[in-house]
This record gives sequence, structure tokens and C-alpha cells, in this order.
Amino acid sequence: MNFRNTYRLVSDTGCHGIAFSILIVLWLSPADAAKVALDPGQWGHPAGEACVSCHLKASSGLAAQWQASAHQRAGVNCMDCHQATAADADAREHEGQVIATIVSPKDCGRCHTQEFEEQQGSVHAEAYAIIKDRVPALAQNLTGPAVQAAGCDQCHGSLVKVRGDGSLDAATWPNSGIGRVNPDGSKGSCSACHGRHLFSKAQAREPQACVRCHAGPDSPDKEIYEASKHGMLYASQRDRMNLDAPEWVAGRDYTAAPTCVTCHMGAAGKLPATHDVGLRNAWSLNSPVSQRQLLVVLEDGGKLELPASAPVPKRGAEITKADGTLGKVKSVGTPERRRQAMSMVCQECHGKLFTDAFMKQFDAVVDLFNGKFAQPAQAIMAGLYAQGLLTPLPFDEPIEFTYWELWHDEGARARHGAAMASPNHTWWEGMYLVGRNFYSRFLPAARAAAGDRSAELVEAHLTGDHHQWLTDPAAGNPILGSSASEAP
Amino acid sequence: MTRLGIPVFITRHVLIALVVGGIGGVLFAGFLLEFDRFTSRNAFCTACHSMIYAETAYQRSAHYNSASGVRASCGDCHVSPGLLAATWDHLIGGKDLLKQWFGADDDDPVVNALRLPESAFAARAWFRSRDSATCKRCHTMEAIQGKRADTAAIHREETAGKTCVDCHYNLVHRPVPDESTFKRDAWNRMIEEEFGLAPGMAGRMMAEE
Repeated sequence: MNFRNTYRLVSDTGCHGIAFSILIVLWLSPADAAKVALDPGQWGHPAGEACVSCHLKASSGLAAQWQASAHQRAGVNCMDCHQATAADADAREHEGQVIATIVSPKDCGRCHTQEFEEQQGSVHAEAYAIIKDRVPALAQNLTGPAVQAAGCDQCHGSLVKVRGDGSLDAATWPNSGIGRVNPDGSKGSCSACHGRHLFSKAQAREPQACVRCHAGPDSPDKEIYEASKHGMLYASQRDRMNLDAPEWVAGRDYTAAPTCVTCHMGAAGKLPATHDVGLRNAWSLNSPVSQRQLLVVLEDGGKLELPASAPVPKRGAEITKADGTLGKVKSVGTPERRRQAMSMVCQECHGKLFTDAFMKQFDAVVDLFNGKFAQPAQAIMAGLYAQGLLTPLPFDEPIEFTYWELWHDEGARARHGAAMASPNHTWWEGMYLVGRNFYSRFLPAARAAAGDRSAELVEAHLTGDHHQWLTDPAAGNPILGSSASEAP
Repeated sequence: MTRLGIPVFITRHVLIALVVGGIGGVLFAGFLLEFDRFTSRNAFCTACHSMIYAETAYQRSAHYNSASGVRASCGDCHVSPGLLAATWDHLIGGKDLLKQWFGADDDDPVVNALRLPESAFAARAWFRSRDSATCKRCHTMEAIQGKRADTAAIHREETAGKTCVDCHYNLVHRPVPDESTFKRDAWNRMIEEEFGLAPGMAGRMMAEE
């Protein structure tokens, strides 16, 4: 029942003033997962059955989970996934067979080709590459390498190192971070969401599948979701979620509540499912200043996020990818088109007016954060660095922590809160803290660093309407009892 | 027929030869036993400088440090049981002495580490060809219980057609991959990193030896 959906993405490039239209051809089914195209004769490795007898005794949890899996029912055995050729970097001999411990997305992609191709190049698959250059500032300087293996890399993925003796370097493995760079060169880890060795669809559809990484101060998506009406509905109507269904189309197979997967990956109405988790994201919400973003799809299957303010790359142009290699542009998805895709999910349960107005509220929060706090703070920091009033070394001065938390933690919380409808995170956990820290910590520290150049390096960036309120100190308000008329 | 019923061909000379030969044979057997004992000792094996690297790893292994105090010596694992087989192994082992004198500079830790995999492959082949006979000196299949659940069942039910060393390798000395998946380049790079050598240095050192 697979069919090809062709989407025409149209945007105005602005700078060139010509319509820029691109086709993204998506091999997608309306259901949640593609049917495996490989001939069944391609699996059921003859040596695979022998593994189970022993592994029901040694590490029996692995074998027992596999026995309960859809893989087992389909006749897919241990060797179908773990087989390796002797030339593979991480190949090792095990009980007479040549195997690899790590089953990479490329291995899964032998059968699950569509999911593999969608996932490669996504923000998930590139999660290691995207922060690679920034990680040392925190993981090496501020703390130590031990944290990278047990902390950062567990979510972002590690660059897996195979030692010369064939073992996997403990500094880089065990790891199922979603942007793991595997010994075979593929990126990502399917088991980040589809826990070994059950690989249950239902499990990956649960909000819980995302919680290991999408929780905590910088991306409290778990907390936001749980605090939202969506999370409340899910918690109270979980038995109506139809999580085990072979196909899982929102609006058709379930309507009780959306989970993370529903909006970011799932099929909804005519919108096909995708394993590119960032496909429907119009904004970058985890950057110092949020950008509406272009999704650049490359000829080699890679993808790239570019700010929509940048010139739209032409089809066929060469462009540098997150990992530093070059790729040729195949097509570009505009933020408008991405928003449209996300809105199609909303509209399985909400009206169009409701959806559009919600998006306006969300966009307004992001624009407010950008204009009032993010852009001035970024400009102030840039000025202080440029003038040598701060050392280039990150985190050796207290203001650098304040600035970092302003956008990376508090600012991200506010933006994610608005995106996913948690008022508490938008305000108290988010924008309130952004405002408090901007005015009471960041600006005083910036003025102190700027010294007698404060007017030029700090105040010059605070001239817009956003900061006008500070120019009228006499304006009282009952909130703190400063308004005589409201005093008891 | 003689007075004592001794066959005529047992002359006095024959009798002397038998007595001398018998005593000589016993002495020779005793010598071989002592020779085997002497040359199977750890102190003998590690008298060659190149063996200290193998010894260091061995001393960190469970075959050296066991809770029960049982300690396997070099010879317990690497010299076959049985006097004739042991004598043969020692004779063949003599080539190691020649290598020590005239071969590559295995005293050098880098050379030693670079050449280790081939030694490991040879040792594994030796164990396999003898059906892990030296393991079985101490380990009795029927008596293996293990500490983890099902270790006994695994040994009872999953070992048909296998010999100890098929599964149990990299127990004592520095881990080396199986020959089927061994990658010389990767091994050389690891040793170069370990000793702080320039990339490619290992290959040049191997070529010189």
C-alpha cells in the first residue's frame, strides 16, 4: 500500500525576488512504518538460531526480549542483525561466527530502508556532529572527559572508537546516543528509541521513549508535555491510544491524545510518517537566537538546516555539511512548508483557525525572546569579546554562565513551552527567568565588564521599545505595593 | 636349559646390559621428568627478557591470582601432559631460545607488542590441535559449575564439537582478536598510540626486524 507522495515546496527567496520552487520526493506511506521491501529469503540466517539456545542461558534477557519481538515472529534472528564481514572495522569472532556488537542504522536499513534514509541527515542523526566543536568547552574544560562518555555522548551519541585489538573503546561505548557515529560510518542509533531487543513500535510511540534526553533544564520536553493539555489527555486516556496498532495514523487509528511521535514523526490524516524528526520544525529553538530554518536535502541523502535569512542555496550547489564534508543540494524545504506539515497534524483534532492562532501565539513568544533578549544579549557579548573585555575562553568569567543559561536553558524552556503549550514553562520556568536574569544579572555584569564604555557596548543595544519601560521609574504598580492608589 | 631355568641366551653379559640399561632407563626417565619440571617453571620461562611482557599480563590474570590459591604455571598451560609429549614440546620450544638469540628484538616492548598477535595465533592453534589438553589438566568438564546462572548448563549443552580454547581465549595474556578478524593496520596504530610513536612507525619497525 505504499505510494509516492510528491510535495511541492514553494517559497520566495526575497533577495533574488524570484519564486524558488523545489520538489521533495518522499517515499512515504500514510501509515507509521514502511513495509519491508526485502525478500524474506534475505533473512533467517542459518547460524542465527544457534545463538538463542546459549543466550537463553547467558544474558538471557536479550534472548527473551527477542523471543517476544516482531522480529522473532518474522523469522529475523540474531545473526541477521549482528552479522559482519571480517573486514568490518568492529568485526569480531564469537562462537565461530564473525559478528559486530553494534547494530548500526545501516544494518537496520538493510530491511528498513525507508526509515534509514529518512533518519540519515536528520537533526537526530547529526546530534553528535552538530555540537562536536562546542562540547570541549563544557565536557573537557568545565568538567572532564569522564562526563562526555557518561553524559553528553549518551544523548548526542559518541564517535565510536574501535581499538586495535578489536574491542570497543570504553570512552566511546556502550552508547546509544541518537547521533552516534558508528564504525561503519553511518550515523545514529535506532536503539535510542527502539529499545533492544524487543524493538517494539508501541514503546517508541510512548512519550517515555524520548524522555532519556528530552528532559531536564535545557530541553524539558518531558515536563512540558506532561504539563500540557496533550500530556494530561494522554495520561488519562492512555488505554485508548491504540499504541500496539500495526499502523498508527492520528485521526484514524487513535484520537485520544498526541504523543511526541504524533507531531514530530507520526502519520496524521494524509500527512505521511517520517523518521526525520526535525522535518516539521519551522524554527530552531535551541540556538542563541531562534531562526526560521530551511531544510536543505542533499543528493547523497544528507540534510542540513540553514537559517531562512541566509541566501537559499540553489539546486546543484555545493554546500558544507555539519560534519565538514561537502554535499550537493537536491532540494530545499521552506519554514512555511514545514509549518504547514506540522499544522496538518494539529488539524486532525483542531480547526484551522485554532491551529493558525496557536502558531501565532507561539511565534510571538519566539519573536519576543529574539528581539527583547536574545539579539541584544548576543550583540553585547560579541562587543565585549571583540573589545577584549572578556577573554575568548568560554566559562572563565561568570557572565558567560549567565549568558549561556539565558538562551540555552531558560530561553530554550520558554520557547519549547510556547511550542508545546505548557504555560508554566513558557512563563515561570522560562521567560520570567529570562527577564529576571537579563535585567538583574546579565546587564549588570555586562556593564561592569564594559566599564566606561558601557554606553557604547551595552546601552546602545537596549534602545528599542522592548526596554522603554525602564525609562519611567515613577510608574508604580500594586504588584510590589509601589502604587499609592492601590495601597491598602 | 640351565640349572636356574634361565634361557641360555641370557648370558652374563646380557644380564649386565639389562641391569645397566634398566638403571640407565630409569635414570633417563627421571632426568626427563626433572628436565620437564625444571623447564616448565615460571622462573625458567621468564629467564628470557622477552617473556616479561607475557609474564606481566599473566600475573594480573585469574590463572595467577585465584581465590583458592591454585596457580597455573607457564608449563601447566603451555607444555603438554605426558612425559613424551612434554619432552617433545620442550624440544620444539627450543626454537624460542634460538629466536631470543638470533631473531627479532622481542626484548623491545614495542617490537614485542607488535609481534604478539602472531604468537597468540600460534598458541591458539597449538591448544586447538591438542584439544585443549592442558586446560583439562585442571578443569574437568563435568565439574564446571561457574558463578553465573546457567554456566554449568552452557558447558553441558552448548559445547558439542568445541574445545575449551574455541571460546576461552584472551584469558591470560594481552587480548588479541581472532585471526579471522585481525587487522594489522589497526593493531599497529594502537601500539603506536600506546607508545607515542609517529603514525607508520610500527610498519617500519616491523619491516626492519
